[in-house]
Amino acid sequence: MRQRIPIILTLLFCWGSLVMAGSIFPYTYTIETLPNGLKVIMIPMESPGLVSYYSVVRTGSRDEVEPGKTGFAHFFEHMMFRGTKKYPGPVRDSIVTSIGASGNAYTSDDITAYYYNFAAEDLERVIELEGDRFQNLHYEEGVFQTEAGAVYGEYRKNITSPFAVLNEKMKELAYDVHTYKHTTIGFEADIKAMPQQFEYSKSFFSRFYRPENVVLVIAGDIDVKKTLGMVKRFYSGWQKGYVAPKVAPEPPQKGERTLDVSYPGRTLPILVVAYKWEAFDAKNRLLAATMLLGELAFGENSDLNKKLFLKEQKVQFLSPSFPTNRDQGLFQIYSMVKKVEDVPYVRDEVYRTIEAFKTKPVDAQKLNDLKRRNKYNFLMGLDTPSRVTGSLARVVAVTGGVEAIDDLYTSFDAVTAQDIQNAAQQYFVPERRSVIVLKGAQ
Amino acid sequence: MKTKKILTLACALALLIPGMILGEPNVSNDNLVLLPVPKDPTISFRIWFKVGSQNDPKGKEGLAELVASMLTEAATTKNSYEQILEKLYPLAAGYSNTMQAEMTVISGRTHKDNLREYYPLLIDAILAPAFKQEDLDRLKSQAMNYLENTLRYSSDEELGKAVLYNDVFAGTPYGHITTGTIEAVKSITLDDVKEFYKKHYTRDNLVIGLGGGYEPALVEQLKLDLNKLPGGMVAEVPRPQPKPAGGFHVTIVEKDAPATAFSMGYPMNILRGTKDWYALAVANSWLGEHRNSSSHLYQVIREERGLNYGDYSYIEHYPGGGQRQLPPQNVGRRVQLFEIWIRPVPNETRHFSLRAALREYKMLVENGMTQGDFDLTRNFLKKYVLNYAQTTMERLGYALDDTYYGIKGSHLEMFREMMDKLTVKEVNEAIKRHWQYGSMNIAVITKDAESFRKALVEDALSPMTYATPKSDHVMKEDMEIVKFPVKVKPENIRIISVTDLLVK
Repeated sequence: MRQRIPIILTLLFCWGSLVMAGSIFPYTYTIETLPNGLKVIMIPMESPGLVSYYSVVRTGSRDEVEPGKTGFAHFFEHMMFRGTKKYPGPVRDSIVTSIGASGNAYTSDDITAYYYNFAAEDLERVIELEGDRFQNLHYEEGVFQTEAGAVYGEYRKNITSPFAVLNEKMKELAYDVHTYKHTTIGFEADIKAMPQQFEYSKSFFSRFYRPENVVLVIAGDIDVKKTLGMVKRFYSGWQKGYVAPKVAPEPPQKGERTLDVSYPGRTLPILVVAYKWEAFDAKNRLLAATMLLGELAFGENSDLNKKLFLKEQKVQFLSPSFPTNRDQGLFQIYSMVKKVEDVPYVRDEVYRTIEAFKTKPVDAQKLNDLKRRNKYNFLMGLDTPSRVTGSLARVVAVTGGVEAIDDLYTSFDAVTAQDIQNAAQQYFVPERRSVIVLKGAQ
Repeated sequence: MKTKKILTLACALALLIPGMILGEPNVSNDNLVLLPVPKDPTISFRIWFKVGSQNDPKGKEGLAELVASMLTEAATTKNSYEQILEKLYPLAAGYSNTMQAEMTVISGRTHKDNLREYYPLLIDAILAPAFKQEDLDRLKSQAMNYLENTLRYSSDEELGKAVLYNDVFAGTPYGHITTGTIEAVKSITLDDVKEFYKKHYTRDNLVIGLGGGYEPALVEQLKLDLNKLPGGMVAEVPRPQPKPAGGFHVTIVEKDAPATAFSMGYPMNILRGTKDWYALAVANSWLGEHRNSSSHLYQVIREERGLNYGDYSYIEHYPGGGQRQLPPQNVGRRVQLFEIWIRPVPNETRHFSLRAALREYKMLVENGMTQGDFDLTRNFLKKYVLNYAQTTMERLGYALDDTYYGIKGSHLEMFREMMDKLTVKEVNEAIKRHWQYGSMNIAVITKDAESFRKALVEDALSPMTYATPKSDHVMKEDMEIVKFPVKVKPENIRIISVTDLLVK
């Protein structure tokens, strides 16, 4: 029954656990930047003749600054599969099919990522196809409009989940002006209007799909020199031209916000306690301390989880989420509570735990256990090319490179019990807090 | 243990894939599957018990899954569950179960450095479960929440698949999803759990799967320890013999759904390891490769018409499809499920979308594949299957499945070989032999069920309009789709409220 933790949560957590995973990256990597600004990170590693190829665009729903355009970064991800004049969609599809590549793409707040996993012998083919579409994407208006229907379908399949509803409401509640106020899938009204945005889509491509805003991460059975040569051949003609969006900074929150949300289906009540956090900075020890605190206070092995989930059995789960973001993100604690009358109790237990972390230094053994866990998570997690690229994608999108991983591990190593206490005092205050209780239909 | 026999999986794959480093060939007999990979710093365990939801006693549907969870998510006689979590935590290791109709596999992975601390926890989970009431209460509550709330309300497509599965296998030992039913789960007691464990978790009913960078002594230790389980053969569950649907049988789940989800299919007897299975794998990949734009259904329904997010088909049961990109392991079964999955479509296009899907399927059954589509698809599969088993744990899973299906050598190796050997003629003959059109269960999650029932019974036209212009080719094809006959007899349509589903 373990698999049933909603996917939205696992997605949010995944980077948290990966980043916290160790202190030394186990593979030697090479970073090159082409004259047009395109950065290429190459990681040769033993693998059964497989390569994983990620194109990380440092644009996500964060960059949707214009009104009425929420969800556009994600919609645009769909359009990237529509081909070019040289390789129109169906031709491109049949090439990808003929090489048996396993590929897909995803969009989040700070990232749009495209990936293929395939046999090493097809690397040149993939580099050519990817270089071509990032420079020469071409689609007609009719195709554009039809794809908007598929995006609406994606919205419809997701929205039946209470977690999708929660995600939307929490963003709206916690933010005033920053684009993190809306979800990556976007508002339904904007999705409905997408077919009318053909001209806008061209401007989107021209501003954001530029070499200075894209990083390639290539791992697996590769020869660095040859790979770089191929990348140069197929990407050097790409012109600079990135226009950074003017994302309004979020003003400091003044006071706690709360909201009750009703969900039309049936669900056990879900409590979310969120705190405004900080833009990710790997060298910020306080931030690293907050990540450790999240695990220690609300993770699987925390006293609170053992109390609420195992002993008292008042909750179906308790989980922290601390996604790293380019701008000020949200640290969230989720819990699905079995009885609606226990929601205030669970909420107060969360607050009580935070207060305890503010006043008492964390147990040294627990901190050491967590550091040991991180080391082994790291050693065990990066065993295939696709896991390596997939794990690095977000840090690449948020920071522009992979150097932040070493910085963050250095920060983790330096974190003391006092740092954790300081982090609790700094971030976990009512002025930064937003709380939602979602209840289902009876 | 019986005499060891060399399995060719590792060495044959290594020959096929240049540069592949797999270490020593693995060794297997009926109850030992080894996959040594000396360079792997981790060790993977898969302990397979030949038990599953087909062994659930009547009225206790969901028991097998609860028992598996009582081993992997609960206390042992040596440690409370809390202590287990505490001990596993610094190791970043754990163990869990995958549990389906016929196979329950307890799997776990640890770094070599931590084997000494990890191993006793894993082995105690299997040998010395404590079966505490509080653990059962917690796990039952999770199962109930899944059935009462999550499955019914949070994902209509998952619900559609569950309804289809239960309909297709109704009246057979496969006739319920692994979590069971609400009333059955409610009734399960600690005594039920203990009795089920005693009967099915015996040393004669298991297969040891071990992979990665382990020392040979670990194999002996595992054998020694698992031999401490009591002996006892488990009576074989009769092979499920689901009744052919005979025409279209439709279950419409009435619910305030924002869109309509479809799952449709029928039982299929052909299993992997046989030539015809690989032939059907080619046809199925062309029709509906999972989560892949090469799927023909995807092209017709999503790509050309923008009606939903994806459309796929399967020749093996594929649990968790919404969450995974590549096939799961250890879902071995004696009767398979052919399934078409249409992700939610706008309610007003539900009839049209159903017709579009069935029409494509019918054309494939009647006309077979073209040489061009066949060539493209087999080339795709030959390389695509390389992605199926990248980690030691996944390869070990496939090796266990090979044992389950009695495949000499390896399924994935055979898969690649068959892509060179098969001809389009053989594929089309296999389609004729094993696929049929017209006898099928269809599960629909939608609102206003009555009007859909009426439309199906009357085989009413389903005119289609689009908000945006479509190509001439699409418009012309639509004229065929809107009147494509999918007539359903009134007695073959069942409408059920979502609140009445999965009750017993």
